[in-house]
Amino acid sequence: MRKSWLRDYIIKRLIYAVIIAWAIVTITFVLVRAGPSSPADRYLANMTASGQDVSQIVEAIEARYGLDKPIYEQYAEYMVNLFHGNLGWSFSTSMPVIDLLKNHWIYSFQLILLSSIFAAFVGILVGIYSAVKQYTKTDYIATFFSFVGISLPNFWLGVMLILVFSVKLGLFKTYYDTTLPLFSLDNLKALVLPVMTLGTGMLAGYVRYTRSAMLDNLRKGFVTTARAKGLPERTVIGKHVFRNALLPLVTIIMFDLGSIVFGGAYLTEIVFGIPGLGQISFNAIFANDYPVVVAVTLIGTFLVLLINLITDIAYTYLDPRIRYD
Amino acid sequence: MIERLQHMAKKVGRPLYGNRRLISYYWERTRRNKLAVFGIAFILFLILLGVVGPFCTMDPTMVDFEKKNLPPVGFTAVKSLYHIETDELTTTEIHGTWKHPLGTDSKGRDMLAMIVSGARVSLLVGLIATGIAILIGTVIGVLSAYLGGWADNVLMRFTDIMMTFPFFLLLVLIVFIFGPSLAFIVLVIGLTGWTGTARLIRSESLSLRTREFVIAARALGASDGRVIFRHLIPNVISLIIVIATLSIPGVILAEAALSFIGLGDPTVPSWGIILEAGQHSLDTAWWVAVEPGIMLFLTVLAFNFLGDGLRDAFDPKSNV
Repeated sequence: MRKSWLRDYIIKRLIYAVIIAWAIVTITFVLVRAGPSSPADRYLANMTASGQDVSQIVEAIEARYGLDKPIYEQYAEYMVNLFHGNLGWSFSTSMPVIDLLKNHWIYSFQLILLSSIFAAFVGILVGIYSAVKQYTKTDYIATFFSFVGISLPNFWLGVMLILVFSVKLGLFKTYYDTTLPLFSLDNLKALVLPVMTLGTGMLAGYVRYTRSAMLDNLRKGFVTTARAKGLPERTVIGKHVFRNALLPLVTIIMFDLGSIVFGGAYLTEIVFGIPGLGQISFNAIFANDYPVVVAVTLIGTFLVLLINLITDIAYTYLDPRIRYD
Repeated sequence: MIERLQHMAKKVGRPLYGNRRLISYYWERTRRNKLAVFGIAFILFLILLGVVGPFCTMDPTMVDFEKKNLPPVGFTAVKSLYHIETDELTTTEIHGTWKHPLGTDSKGRDMLAMIVSGARVSLLVGLIATGIAILIGTVIGVLSAYLGGWADNVLMRFTDIMMTFPFFLLLVLIVFIFGPSLAFIVLVIGLTGWTGTARLIRSESLSLRTREFVIAARALGASDGRVIFRHLIPNVISLIIVIATLSIPGVILAEAALSFIGLGDPTVPSWGIILEAGQHSLDTAWWVAVEPGIMLFLTVLAFNFLGDGLRDAFDPKSNV
């Protein structure tokens, strides 16, 4: 009964999410299809190479995939298919888009999951320590390195890690080996460099956010009260300060996660040749494979919206005073 | 009474620009932050490099295969040569020369010249794209806050959509479709990167709108334009400066990342493009990938230091 308003709120937000996702799908679709090139170009290159008559073949291919229709008809068709859960056909890989996504999502997921765990664990601990020891040497060092971390271009960091650990020291392969079974130690080893590449920037961000969120609360009255009661410092920091710092922290971490899915992870996958969603959407853009581009954008957008919604709901549990009605 | 109000509105309405005392006060506060001073120093050095540098170095596009893969001064590299007649592999050590202090790349182009020309590109991209983004963001933010009602609603929903759109993917998509020219890349980054600014400026303007001096100005019959340009915008200037400084690194990185994945302007040697080429010759010429990355890193670091220092300096609650 306590949270009956929450259901209405979630429904409202979901409707809103669908509208935004629709807008973004439309923009992406128009952008990709408005370009001068067509998915048939790829066949065209092959055909010309083998000396066949091109013009007829292009027409045949365009007719076969409905690419000769006006763009609004193609759009309508695409939306109807999408509504039925059909994401379309990938031209460049010759398989249904849904199968392509099913084969590749796990690579992105494992990279983002491991990086987040690494970054959140180390980042939050360092941030707490840095705040508790404010204005000491440790704090200055931590702050300085968090600046370094957020300023390192992650694609360059990836190249440097490859240079040092793979090319010079020979500890790791220079690319991600896709033949390894997913749940194996070898796969974990292959992910060390990519996780460091993606995780460093996140980690540095978390140190900064945690430190400032902790500092906001450290000088509050209830902390003095807790200390005056004679509570051990561990309890004061862990239960009183950190709990209150958690709320702004969750906001910013979740927000970060949304932007990371498409920024950092995208580039990390390209640097290491990890065949995740970023990589396939990247290849699809170059191959004019618009159904894949739109599908990946849609999934990314929906994830971001979903994460935002979950964050807002998480607030109401972290701080029961918050209501959205 | 009216004179007093007019006087008040005039005085409080000009916090930063045109107020020498306040500028020197903020400068004093910024100066106490050593990292911010490093930031300023490096940015000035970079501007000097970008403006004067290209006249002092050789042509960054000059190809010389005789002198390819020369290491930087003080380093040696091992070069292997395979002789087809004798079926032998000979290795020779090559040393860096002062003629090419930072070495050369796989086409024998001078790295120093390319780094210097890259500095110009990065600065131009950073400043112009951020300028465009800040301008759009400020206009939308102030309008949204000042007009309120349905206009606010429409503008903010539009901002939401732009914000949810995966920024980098949008960039890749647009640049791929319409071709990679540097001017176009700058424009696209500027036209897509204003959302955060709009949100921040809006919330700041919303709180300003209810302040006494704005109410006083409106009570005195000031027009909407006057309130916006004389009272709202001057009061968000310090916020704008901070946002601008902190968004320049993101813009520079976006351009570098685009070039790195092969969507840069091939006619302009930017750091990202050098880096992309260097990535493929890590085993023969590591410096080609290392040098532009260090510059990129230091540039981003400098702007982050400065932005952080400015934010603290403008924040009356922080004691620097």
